Amino acid sequence: MIKTERVLHLKSCVGRKVRVVREHYLRERVPCCSSLCQADCVNDGKLLPGDLTHYVVPDVAVVVDYLEILEFRELQGIIFTQTACQALQNKNRRCVYSAAVWYYNHLAGMMNIVMITEDPEAVAQFSSLTCGVYVISVQDYLQSFWSDLQAAHELFSSISQAQQETEGDDGEKEFPEHLPAEVLEAGIKSERYIQGTLNVNKHRAQNEAFVRPKNFSTKSTDLTWDVLVCGRKNRNRAVHGDEVVVELLPKNEWRGKGTALTDGDEKTGEDNESTPLPTGRIVGILQRNWRDYVVTFPTRDGIQSQSRNSQRILTIPWDQRIPKIRISTQQAEALQDHRVVVRIDSWESTSFYPNGHSVRVLGRAGELETEVQTILLENCIHILPFSDAQLREMPVNSLEKPWTVDPSEVAERRDLRDSHLVFSIDPRGCEDVDDTLSVRKLPDRRLELGVHIADVTHFVKEGSLTDLEARSRATTYYLADRRYDMLPAILSADLCSLLGGADRYAMSVLWELDAESLEVQEVWYGRTLIRSSYQLHYELAQALLNGEQVEVLELANLGPQERDSKVAQLTEALEMLTHVARHLRAKRDRGGALELEGVEVGAQLDEERNITALVPRQPLEVHETVAECMIYANHWVARKIQEAFPNQALLRRHPPPQQELFNQLVDTAKAKGFTIDTRSNKALAASLDRAVDPQDPLVNRLFRMMATTAMSQALYFSTGAHPQDQYYHYGLALDRYTHFTSPIRRYADIVVHRLLTAALDMERGVVSGKAPASNKEVEEMAHHINSKNRAAQAAQMRSTALFQCLFFKERDPQTDPCCVADAVIYSIRDNGVLVFIPEYGVKGPVYLKNKEGLVVVARQDGSCDWQGGTVRKCPDRITTTSSCGTSTFKLFDHITVRISVHSSTCHADRLNLEVISNKPHHSAKSQQPSPQGRSQLVKEVVRQNEEALAQEKTARRPKLSKEEREFRQSKTPSLYSILEEIRELALMDLEMASRLPATTA
Amino acid sequence: MAGLELLSDQGYRLDGRKATELRKLQARMGVFTQADGSAYLEQGNTKALAVVYGPHEMRGSRSRTLHDRAVINCQYSMATFSTAERKRRPHGDRKSTEMSLHLKQTFEAAVMTQLYPRSQIDIYVKILQSDGGNYSVCVNAATLAVIDAGIPMRDYVCACTVGFVDETPLADLCYAEESGGVSSLALALLPRGGQIALLQMDARLHQDHLETLIEAAMTACKGVSKVLDEVVRQHLQEASVLTGE
Repeated sequence: MIKTERVLHLKSCVGRKVRVVREHYLRERVPCCSSLCQADCVNDGKLLPGDLTHYVVPDVAVVVDYLEILEFRELQGIIFTQTACQALQNKNRRCVYSAAVWYYNHLAGMMNIVMITEDPEAVAQFSSLTCGVYVISVQDYLQSFWSDLQAAHELFSSISQAQQETEGDDGEKEFPEHLPAEVLEAGIKSERYIQGTLNVNKHRAQNEAFVRPKNFSTKSTDLTWDVLVCGRKNRNRAVHGDEVVVELLPKNEWRGKGTALTDGDEKTGEDNESTPLPTGRIVGILQRNWRDYVVTFPTRDGIQSQSRNSQRILTIPWDQRIPKIRISTQQAEALQDHRVVVRIDSWESTSFYPNGHSVRVLGRAGELETEVQTILLENCIHILPFSDAQLREMPVNSLEKPWTVDPSEVAERRDLRDSHLVFSIDPRGCEDVDDTLSVRKLPDRRLELGVHIADVTHFVKEGSLTDLEARSRATTYYLADRRYDMLPAILSADLCSLLGGADRYAMSVLWELDAESLEVQEVWYGRTLIRSSYQLHYELAQALLNGEQVEVLELANLGPQERDSKVAQLTEALEMLTHVARHLRAKRDRGGALELEGVEVGAQLDEERNITALVPRQPLEVHETVAECMIYANHWVARKIQEAFPNQALLRRHPPPQQELFNQLVDTAKAKGFTIDTRSNKALAASLDRAVDPQDPLVNRLFRMMATTAMSQALYFSTGAHPQDQYYHYGLALDRYTHFTSPIRRYADIVVHRLLTAALDMERGVVSGKAPASNKEVEEMAHHINSKNRAAQAAQMRSTALFQCLFFKERDPQTDPCCVADAVIYSIRDNGVLVFIPEYGVKGPVYLKNKEGLVVVARQDGSCDWQGGTVRKCPDRITTTSSCGTSTFKLFDHITVRISVHSSTCHADRLNLEVISNKPHHSAKSQQPSPQGRSQLVKEVVRQNEEALAQEKTARRPKLSKEEREFRQSKTPSLYSILEEIRELALMDLEMASRLPATTA
Repeated sequence: MAGLELLSDQGYRLDGRKATELRKLQARMGVFTQADGSAYLEQGNTKALAVVYGPHEMRGSRSRTLHDRAVINCQYSMATFSTAERKRRPHGDRKSTEMSLHLKQTFEAAVMTQLYPRSQIDIYVKILQSDGGNYSVCVNAATLAVIDAGIPMRDYVCACTVGFVDETPLADLCYAEESGGVSSLALALLPRGGQIALLQMDARLHQDHLETLIEAAMTACKGVSKVLDEVVRQHLQEASVLTGE
């Protein structure tokens, strides 16, 4: 190594200039990481491919400005020099150039090197110095090497235009400047300012935003809640998600938040406001959290109303919380009504809106494909098809080359193929079977219960390309009409899927239980080889348990006697399993496990992988049996890995909820005459069980839903990052829990499998090649998986809502019986109520007072009218008064609502609910044959005509996906079944559903 | 504020070293002739001068005399020009006093003081340029000076600082790393026996990591001892050539 010195001029804390000398060691050997290397560099990790025409070396300015172009998948073989990354020296162009020359010589001229720079001087100076090393500008580079990569060119022009814009921009200040970083830091330390993440209220995006303080340890006690940031000026260019610094305003300027229902376009000045909250203004931004946003280009008339030149267009983001973004483009005409992905570049204090540039066009607004892509992007889900390199890592299983069990693996694994009766229970038509069960009697009055999970880690080696891809996906994404697998199909549907009658690798947990008390005597963990004998589905298993005569597919071609004995054997196993599961469940119930809409169902769904197929689930006992076994396996694996790796095990915890979040539930229950005890999970479970209204089963369901809303979400974490008393899983009432049983569709399970393998190796004294991930890595991974899971849930939720809207869009709200439904009021607001529609699983606001000031008044027969009047809100009822009388809506009243679609080009479509009667709605059929006048009939005909037209249109549009074509044809039973399924889904995922409605509280 | 990236993904540190690599270490013995022993040592950009007087009879207050061994008297100071900003008070401040005390403890453990009862050994160390790891540089310089003075020691005393970043121990921290919020540990070792003469740490660290950190520090110290040994042998050779033996 050669020691050199580097002189830096830094500013000291007092502000004086200080000369600092830092030593710098130049290494003689830095690996070149090229697969063409001739000089035996020690290359490990990623390599530069050798089959390219050239390597690219960008310089600092290029990296700063055009990084996005370099991110194109097609551009490969990019060499980032440390100089370019750190951008510390001024003379760096020469350095970068000499790096390029070095590479050229190092690879013995086998590869051309292109250095790209934006400095014309450098181009002139270096371009002809060495042959084989070309120095050109970005534009030339793109034109000469990637002339067919249209997207890159567009991106380039969009970026360079955005840059020119920023240079020549000057004007009045719209916003106060942000304070410099040192001032902010000092202010935070002295507790003058508060640091936190900005959270814009979705329903009052213009005015209301909250900052959640980062550390609650601040001394002032009134800061335990969020800080309100009111208005655009106070928000000072911060965008949703940014890490900001706020200064509290004096107390007399504090304001409350609005409680009235609004639907996005706010103009009401005299909103009722709750008690004043701490209010502040943003003085600085620590960290921008800008991501890619989906925006919609306005239609032509929107463009013309724009100022100065038509090149700069204000686009409206899909996410209401994001301000409009100014884009300069020449394609404005072509992009009308299209959804486009943009990035925000800057937001100067002189500008009212942020500047951005477009990155990619998604498609026309309103088309199914565009909308689904929008949903994915808005949730930061980037899915590309599996690359060839990833697929090449996969084992082959074809007819010519069937995959077989490796003899060396057989020797290492415990062979359960002959000794155990293994079977799987899954939803019908399930492809990826990742869990199987076994149970048998052992001689000395013991039972052996076994859970066998697909051994994904055998196929997906840590650090392989497939592993990296799976890690970045973190989970399989289920949308309403499609799914994106975490692993390639060969694994998820074939080799890792524990199919009936096939030899498969598994990770097993085997418990030896005492036959009487069912206490665990011994646990065995390890890799096994299994052959699943039966691939059952839930209904079949339940039928077997009930003693019904059923056909078991696997036994179809056996003689009757043999078949009967086999069925008896299987049934006995199932009974034993049910017995054990009941016992486990009872034990957990004693500990305080919750049976909630949402959480509990959600957890169950986690165990059986097929939430995906959207199969409506009848609650069968066998569901619970399987779920219980999976929970048990997860729990024991959690114990094992936590003991083996006290500091770096990946577990899952469910923190106890904050008590104040239960207020709504407790108050609502009080109105109905129930008391809910929320002190512990056990008390909550008990009081929820008691709160049953015999007349209305929905009441209990609503209570459970509200309880679910109050819960915090379960999270993955690393054991080193939290004290042991926080490991507790509140919902399941277990002290340690993890996810182990679905490695095909969750990355967390893969991590846990690896940890378990490492723990077993450690026990046997085998030194595995690689140390397990450190606490920090595991914690980072946990964060990543958590955020991906949240995104996946949100995307699933959104796509469900999308399909709901599409369903109702097809129908005429005035006539179609589907659009009229029964709804239950579960919350009272200032100008309306929040209702839940059990038939569709939809929650939403119903206005009793519209913008013109008219209120809903019920007539004698229950039908409702809009009339002038007033609204009065009480804790448990809301009363409307007008000249023709008063009507009252109470909590848990059943009313009839009409569902229509509120469409908007820029945002997602919404469902609109409207009261049509304050009486309960009886099933659609009984109300259908109402007296219809001739006009009604005419309307019906017109509608049918329109529908026929629409169908023609869909037939003409070739771009539509198959699903959509199927969908648009409407009215087929399949559509209805899709909706039924969606409904089920929405019910299951109430936690998410509850975020949708306008709960401004 | 985002801190500096102390260890890159490729495993390089700020100054281009790998995690276990020491800074360049250069030393000379016998730089002054007035004193009984002296040495000059550079470890990267940290430069120190150590001078040893003694053993001689007690000076100053005779009450401190120990009748069974020698008293070791250490004084640490930093030159006013040693840091980027001129230092106002070169010695006598709290930090220097503490450092002097640490040096004293270190050398009481290493020097065979029982050979010189009722006498005193003075060790003066001055940091000429400071760039992190001052304590360890002082110890290493003083060791050479003591050897130069011909005072018998149990072994070389070698010291090194290690820090802990991203679950990786970094050997021999420079100033940028030390000030970058790393929990660092200073260790003085008698390398042959593996005895620890002094272990000092005033940052938070999880107890599980302590062992790996000490392990890394010991390896680093052994590395230092090799260099010091070479310097001593070189010096001896030169001296013997001069005296014509």
